[in-house]
Amino acid sequence: MSTVTVRIPTPLRSFTDGADEIRVEGTTVDDVLKALGTAHAGLLERVMSPRGELRNFVNVYLGSDNVRSLDGLATPVADNDVVSIVPAVAGGAGKAKDRRLAKIKSSIPEITPVQAVELQHEGAAVLDVREADEISQGSPVGAYRLGRAYLELRIEDTVPDMDRTILVMCSGGVRSLFAADAIKQLGYRDVRSVIGGFSRWKNDGQPFEVPRVLDADARERYSRHLLMPEIGEAGQLKLIDSKVLLLGAGGLGSPAAFYLAAAGVGTLGLVDDDIVDRSNLQRQILHTDARIGTPKVASARATLEALNPAVKVIEHQTRLDSSNVEEIFSGFDVIVDGSDNFPTRYLVNDACVKLGIPNVHGAVYRFEGQISVFWPAYEKRRGPCYRCLYPEPPPAEMAPSCAEAGVLGILPGVVGLLEAVEAIKILLGIGEPLVGKMLYYDALRAHFTELKLEPDPECPYCSEGAQFPGYVDYEELCAVSNA
Amino acid sequence: MRTLSLPEDARAELATMVREGYPLETCGLLVGRQANGQVEVQTVVQSRNINRERAEDRYELDPHDFLVTDKRARADGLEIVGVWHSHPDHPARPSETDRVAAWEGWSYVIISVTRDGVADLRSWRLDSEQFVEEQIQLCPR
Repeated sequence: MSTVTVRIPTPLRSFTDGADEIRVEGTTVDDVLKALGTAHAGLLERVMSPRGELRNFVNVYLGSDNVRSLDGLATPVADNDVVSIVPAVAGGAGKAKDRRLAKIKSSIPEITPVQAVELQHEGAAVLDVREADEISQGSPVGAYRLGRAYLELRIEDTVPDMDRTILVMCSGGVRSLFAADAIKQLGYRDVRSVIGGFSRWKNDGQPFEVPRVLDADARERYSRHLLMPEIGEAGQLKLIDSKVLLLGAGGLGSPAAFYLAAAGVGTLGLVDDDIVDRSNLQRQILHTDARIGTPKVASARATLEALNPAVKVIEHQTRLDSSNVEEIFSGFDVIVDGSDNFPTRYLVNDACVKLGIPNVHGAVYRFEGQISVFWPAYEKRRGPCYRCLYPEPPPAEMAPSCAEAGVLGILPGVVGLLEAVEAIKILLGIGEPLVGKMLYYDALRAHFTELKLEPDPECPYCSEGAQFPGYVDYEELCAVSNA
Repeated sequence: MRTLSLPEDARAELATMVREGYPLETCGLLVGRQANGQVEVQTVVQSRNINRERAEDRYELDPHDFLVTDKRARADGLEIVGVWHSHPDHPARPSETDRVAAWEGWSYVIISVTRDGVADLRSWRLDSEQFVEEQIQLCPR
């Protein structure tokens, strides 16, 4: 047994009543430390782990040698040896993110919410880069809510002018600095970050609104839409707010309604007075064998709601005529005409012209189909209405219906979906709708042809200054002609 | 607020050491006395940073240097009263890394240094796992 001196560093002297040296007995370093621990409660725990190993943040020296380089705790001690407990001294300027942040702060000016609002009035763009669930709690009025994940990919579509001042805001003012730095690297010349983020924005009484956002279910369901800058959250919300009326829940209406429901068009109206027949099932995919004999609108509704319960389906189990057409059409944004009879087609055209609603037209015959958008009120281009092309319906014997001529079952699928695509484009205001154009599809040649359609300057329905001549019920003329 | 008195020449010495070390972190020990909430620094000593891999933003003081400084301090009737280190291009506030590695009972002087020299010098002390700032009193020798 040897008696040694243990040197206690300042941070551990609270356990030794301030003593800087303690004399204890032992044979090894381990004995010495344990004896020290017995004499001064709490000290041993600082030096050794519960498993009896030296802690990482402590070194023990015997004379001038680290015991780790000798025999560790088993190192023997001799009389009058000096054992020193050396606390590890470490630290640093912090995490890489802190260092990066400090660097970013030297190049990105920070402004208060009050200054941000002033700059916004002068034309600066406020960019809210928070996550959707944060934005749902509120966001500055007039802010662009691009999110952080796709910021670099989307910012140029939102703010094409690289000279426009951009004010980036997050919830506390840190993420916005990183985002601001990323935007600056894209080439934007004046990018600033809002100090304190939205928390301070709100506390300082600056104007904010609670924007409508998609809930978690919708976010997941429409995630592939949300990835597309042409749709995104704003576009998806637009679709959810949209109302599309489908004339006919048959060959064309089935695929169109099916995909429009999947795409999240919030309200789908269905007009059809027919009931499901076995011969419909070759192409009318909304219906099922088990629903033969039930009304088509009810059958269609069951299928659509099973696909997307969020869609509101309005059933009109009725035949369109001049007395109900305006009442049924009112409130809809787009009409998808899937009717296969001339009386309905003319009523749809006339009502759409009168009410200014775009009329997405489709028709099929054996292996051929055609699609167009009749929308004289379209702002960017003047196209015809259906009557500009065909002022009056043909005689019944020249207008064969599917029941008479037959149709390849898949063909209305192709055409109905092209109609659905046109409807979605119109609802979102993207791309070029088929206004003033007719797309012909020849399935046997696998060939599409686009024809230019001119409006009739003398058209009694859609020409400039025309007085609406009234609806015509051609019903009795072609009673046999029905899809 | 606790106070830490620092001789002006020691402060100048710190400024020289951190500037020369820039952009790497420099570190060392504070030697002096402490009693009744007052820390009195007598000398500042530079130590080797054995964290070579991340010397830009980490320090780990060479324990051998500690031992030597401790021995000399005891011989002079003094003690190691704290640690100093630089934060290159970073504020003179303790980082989480600093907090986790800190010991109670010591003062931690942090010197913010940039290319242009010392930007800030502050002292901190761990109290119940949180850093509390100490007031620095510069005193002529």
